[in-house]
Amino acid sequence: MTQALTEQERRKIAEATKPASSTEAEPHVVVESLYKSFAHNGGRVEVLQEINLSIRQGEFVCLLGPSGCGKSTLINIIAGLDAPDRGRVLIHGQPVTRPGVDRVVVFQDASLFPWLTVLGNVEFGPKMQGIASGERRAKALELIKLVHLSKFANAYPYQLSGGMKQRVAIARALAMDPEILLMDEPFGALDAQTRGMLQRELLEIWQATGKTVVFVTHNVREATGLGERVFEISARPGRIKHAYAVDLPQPRSNSDPRLLSLQQKILGSLGEEIAKVMQDETGLPYEPQEGRVAAAPDRALGMHI
Amino acid sequence: MPGAWTIAQRLVEDFHQTAFVHALGGSLRRMAIGYVLVTAIGIVGGMALGRFKLLDEVLGGVAVSIHAIPGAAWVPLAILWFGATERAVIFTILLGATGIVIVHTDSGIKEVAPNILRAAKTMGAKGINLFWHVIVPAAIPRIVDGLRLAWAFGWRALMAGELLTSVAGLGQMLNTVAKARQLDQLLALMLLFAFIGASVDGLIFKRLEQSVRTRWGLA
Ligand SMILES: Nc1ncnc2c1ncn2[C@@H]1O[C@H](COP(=O)(O)OP(=O)(O)OP(=O)(O)O)[C@@H](O)[C@H]1O
Ligand SMILES: [Mg+2]
Repeated sequence: MTQALTEQERRKIAEATKPASSTEAEPHVVVESLYKSFAHNGGRVEVLQEINLSIRQGEFVCLLGPSGCGKSTLINIIAGLDAPDRGRVLIHGQPVTRPGVDRVVVFQDASLFPWLTVLGNVEFGPKMQGIASGERRAKALELIKLVHLSKFANAYPYQLSGGMKQRVAIARALAMDPEILLMDEPFGALDAQTRGMLQRELLEIWQATGKTVVFVTHNVREATGLGERVFEISARPGRIKHAYAVDLPQPRSNSDPRLLSLQQKILGSLGEEIAKVMQDETGLPYEPQEGRVAAAPDRALGMHI
Repeated sequence: MPGAWTIAQRLVEDFHQTAFVHALGGSLRRMAIGYVLVTAIGIVGGMALGRFKLLDEVLGGVAVSIHAIPGAAWVPLAILWFGATERAVIFTILLGATGIVIVHTDSGIKEVAPNILRAAKTMGAKGINLFWHVIVPAAIPRIVDGLRLAWAFGWRALMAGELLTSVAGLGQMLNTVAKARQLDQLLALMLLFAFIGASVDGLIFKRLEQSVRTRWGLA
């Protein structure tokens, strides 16, 4: 009789015998001693080394690091678009081997399909899922409304501004109703006002939907404004250098002294990494101008590396 | 000075001659048939090469070699196979212009922006869906470039074919007036070649290319 247990029954038993808190505590996304290198000038360049992350369901985490440290590489590996050299990514305990519709990426350049209208772009994912046209259209229009682009539903991407494109990319990702949003510097190319507005919209969406968000940025203010945790990645090879918890409720005030002091702390640490990159790229020693950065926390200087 | 005016007059007069109308009609018909075939074979062939690696390895080089041979060079072979017939002319157009469409379609399909592919894949597109709904549309600007060039190549090949086969057409007329030493008519015909070739390019292909480039965010 015991051999005749179905998979479902077995799972039920396992569920019942687990401690009550364990399902809640089980992390959503786990990155386990991940390594990645690329061929470069006949040799190999180590891009990611010994990356370990554990992200809770519904958590908003930011990956912060200087240009070229491997943030996009890590996002692509979590998305299943690229394979690591060693280590693995687990989603709900299952290893990632290929892209999955539970994880959708929002790219820095939006990467909209130029031959489709806004509506066509947002409908694309559900269409690939084989969802009936009436249903997917209604859902798409709803999401387009959510990102305030109803008037532009029939516009083509070339007719949109950068900020609008980014909002379409977010709506397109949400149309998949993914559990995980992987966002690779989605607001990097935008002006400060537009970025601030989209950040607020993103937070609202996150709070309303409870999705797990992995948000890449090289902007300290953005990372500390959005993330519940901020992982600082070091430059070449990329490792997790620090994890900062941002224990402040949303919405956060930009002038909150706790936020400012955290930003100072991160900027100091990041400065060392940037010095490393500069030295790497120019072959010359680089002296970070600590004083200037520290004296002007509100200036854009150093905030957007 | 007598040049342009006389030629224009000559052209208008020529339009009333049934032989001329017949020749023009024949040339345009052959070009239309040839171009439709070029488009169909070029796009299908280019897609096949772009999609199937093995096919590309076996036939990719052939397409590039054919593309490197000028259209006129196919005429002798065409006559050998089909005789001095309309088919020979169409064959010449086909061989003179299909290569460029294949090469452009193939490269368009292989060179889709990586992030477009990545975005599509994370949204669950794969296999034939990915090909039809993402790769092919992404390749359209390149395909249109190829079609525009193919028009120019095909038009030249048409003339070469008609000059050498003596099938009733503008090319054959050119031969006739040249033998009769009718310089005005000769120039009028040449001007007409230029006019048709450039008009189709300017009125159709240039506009098409422009609107595609705008829509695809390339302009
Ligand atoms: N396909 C590839 N082949 C070779 N090298 C690569 C490849 N992809 C990335 N790299 C290298 O890996 C390093 C990390 O790249 P990645 O794009 O992940 O950086 P990043 O942190 O996202 O930078 P940025 O902030 O500028 O976007 C870079 O040095 C880059 O040159
Ligand atoms: Mg990047």
